[in-house]
Amino acid sequence: MLKYVFERVLAMLVTLAIIVTMGFMVIRLMPGSMFEGNPDMSPEQLAALEAKYHLDKPLLVQYGYFLRDAFTKGDWGTSLKLYPNVPVWEILQTRIPISMYINVYSLLISLPIGVILGIVAAIKKNTWVDYTVSFLVVICISVPSFVFATLMQYFFAFKMEAFPIIYEPTAVGMAKLYSLALPIMALALSPIARVARYLRAELAETINSDFMLLAKTKGLTERQATINHGIRNSLLPLMNIIVPMFTNILGGSLVIETIFAIPGMGGMMVNSINAPDYEVTLAILIFYSIISLSTILLVDISYGIIDPRIRMGGKK
Amino acid sequence: MDKPILEVKNLSVSFNAFSGTVRAVRNIDLELYKGETLVIVGESGSGKSVTTKAILGILPKNGRIDSGEIIYQGEDMAKYKEKDFYNIRGKRISLVFQDPLSALNPIMKIGKQITEALILSGKYDKKSAKKRAIELMEAVGIPKPELRYEQYPFQFSGGMRQRIVIAIALASDPEILICDEPTTALDVTIQSKILELINEMKAKNDLSIIFITHDLGVVANMADRICVMYAGKIVEFGTAEDIFYRPAHPYTWALLSSIPDLDTKEKLFSIPGAPPNMLAPPKGDAFAQRNKYALAIDFEEEPPFFKLSDTHYAATWLLHPDAPKVEMPEILAHRIERMKEANGIVD
Ligand SMILES: Nc1ncnc2c1ncn2[C@@H]1O[C@H](COP(=O)(O)OP(=O)(O)OP(=O)(O)O)[C@@H](O)[C@H]1O
Ligand SMILES: [Mg+2]
Repeated sequence: MLKYVFERVLAMLVTLAIIVTMGFMVIRLMPGSMFEGNPDMSPEQLAALEAKYHLDKPLLVQYGYFLRDAFTKGDWGTSLKLYPNVPVWEILQTRIPISMYINVYSLLISLPIGVILGIVAAIKKNTWVDYTVSFLVVICISVPSFVFATLMQYFFAFKMEAFPIIYEPTAVGMAKLYSLALPIMALALSPIARVARYLRAELAETINSDFMLLAKTKGLTERQATINHGIRNSLLPLMNIIVPMFTNILGGSLVIETIFAIPGMGGMMVNSINAPDYEVTLAILIFYSIISLSTILLVDISYGIIDPRIRMGGKK
Repeated sequence: MDKPILEVKNLSVSFNAFSGTVRAVRNIDLELYKGETLVIVGESGSGKSVTTKAILGILPKNGRIDSGEIIYQGEDMAKYKEKDFYNIRGKRISLVFQDPLSALNPIMKIGKQITEALILSGKYDKKSAKKRAIELMEAVGIPKPELRYEQYPFQFSGGMRQRIVIAIALASDPEILICDEPTTALDVTIQSKILELINEMKAKNDLSIIFITHDLGVVANMADRICVMYAGKIVEFGTAEDIFYRPAHPYTWALLSSIPDLDTKEKLFSIPGAPPNMLAPPKGDAFAQRNKYALAIDFEEEPPFFKLSDTHYAATWLLHPDAPKVEMPEILAHRIERMKEANGIVD
């Protein structure tokens, strides 16, 4: 098991290094320069600035400087355009928590709801319950989350006044959760649908498996067999879709945050690309890579915990 | 003989499939007596597994019992609801599956798979259930049962998994054990060991066994009585001697001929053609198309059972008094003669 974890972590670090390198190159190679087109600056000033930030050196040398600063000083660079002279790390610190707050909550509520809907649909397969669930699933998967967000904002917040229309930055605790309820729900709909659809298919198949039949013939009731064998065995493959689900939430969040005026990572990403503000873009890229890779790592490790075949190094 | 402990009367089972209704089992009768091994033999698709599933009430959702009774302990199980089976399955009647590789839950410990039903039935607590499981594992010949108890199916070989499946079936001391081709997925040496084990368990636990197979050669040493099934119907039944030494139905002849010879190791011949499509069972005798002895009437009308002796019946028009006299293939007759001599049997 330790060896397994070690391998996973190593694989994750290698992937991260590749992403950072490629991200760095691509961002710097984008057309336009950070200081170009500023009418207030003379060519001499421009040259001096570029020299200060090593922008006049070849790409690889720039990369070398970046790595040196990042590793030796923990310095991820400074924003030059969006928030001049504020260290990137400080900017992220103010933005990450609120984004993660709604993203993680979406994930956390979508898993149990999706699992329950999927189980109900599978057990009541081909009844009106199943048809209703499947219908809702198709809608929630095919309609993008910002459409739900806008509709919810209009009906629940504006018309019914049940929720605040936009985020209230001063709220804390339950009040904060309440003021973010709509974006969280809007983000959760599609993951709920994905989980439900996946689990329904898995469980329906597991229910017909030989070991379910054996469970029944050895005297388990339908319910005991479904819980002890069916559900547990179908949760395993569910781990496969958690990663794409979470990245789906992260992606949806970029837009949803703008709709509800949430000061998270969403708006900043787009702005930093347009500015352009290299360091901020790169930092955001690295941040999202780390989040996704950690999710993958977490899923891989839990796989090992649930599935003995992987834990004990047996063949799959 | 006394009353049978399990009696199937006129059972018919069909499935709703996309292309229509599959009539998988058609009007079969079975009797299982206490302490005997009843073998049901037939080609793939003849409805053997479906029969056992109907008995235990585990037919797939698209299957249903059209008619017939399954009498056990004075009650008709064909009328049982799912709930009524909870006291039967595993506890009174157990089933050993065809494929040990997929019958065990891949992510549950072997020990738990044996004790699970015991604990849920409320008769055992955790500790006594474990004790029982280890006894059972020992009885079915698993070395180091304490260690094995904590392991997962992927750490077991096919033969060992089949032993575990048998241990699970025996855990609650059932009265009837149904073995649905328990050795088809195993190699020949393991096969005979598993059969020995079943025989041993039968004697020890006072079991009555229904044993399903498509290979008569496998069961020669354990069968008391044999039912031959073809296309969802029973075509001949009798004691093991009746079937092995005095087979009367051309399909039984064909089955016997397809067993490889013990001495020469060669098959006499295999049955030409394929079983009929059960979506539309043919008129008359379902075997007629593949039967070189078929009479005109075989294509018109289904043959009734003709009595050969008190224990031996066969459904073929060849036995009708007006039918032309047809003998079994000579080569098969020779082989039977040799077997009789080898076993010291005289008619
Ligand atoms: N769920 C189902 N839906 C439709 N048809 C089915 C279903 N299950 C079985 N059948 C049909 O019923 C017939 C009998 O099947 P069964 O499984 O009893 O065969 P078998 O005698 O056990 O064969 P084998 O030796 O291969 O196990 C076959 O024609 C099969 O196609
Ligand atoms: Mg079968």
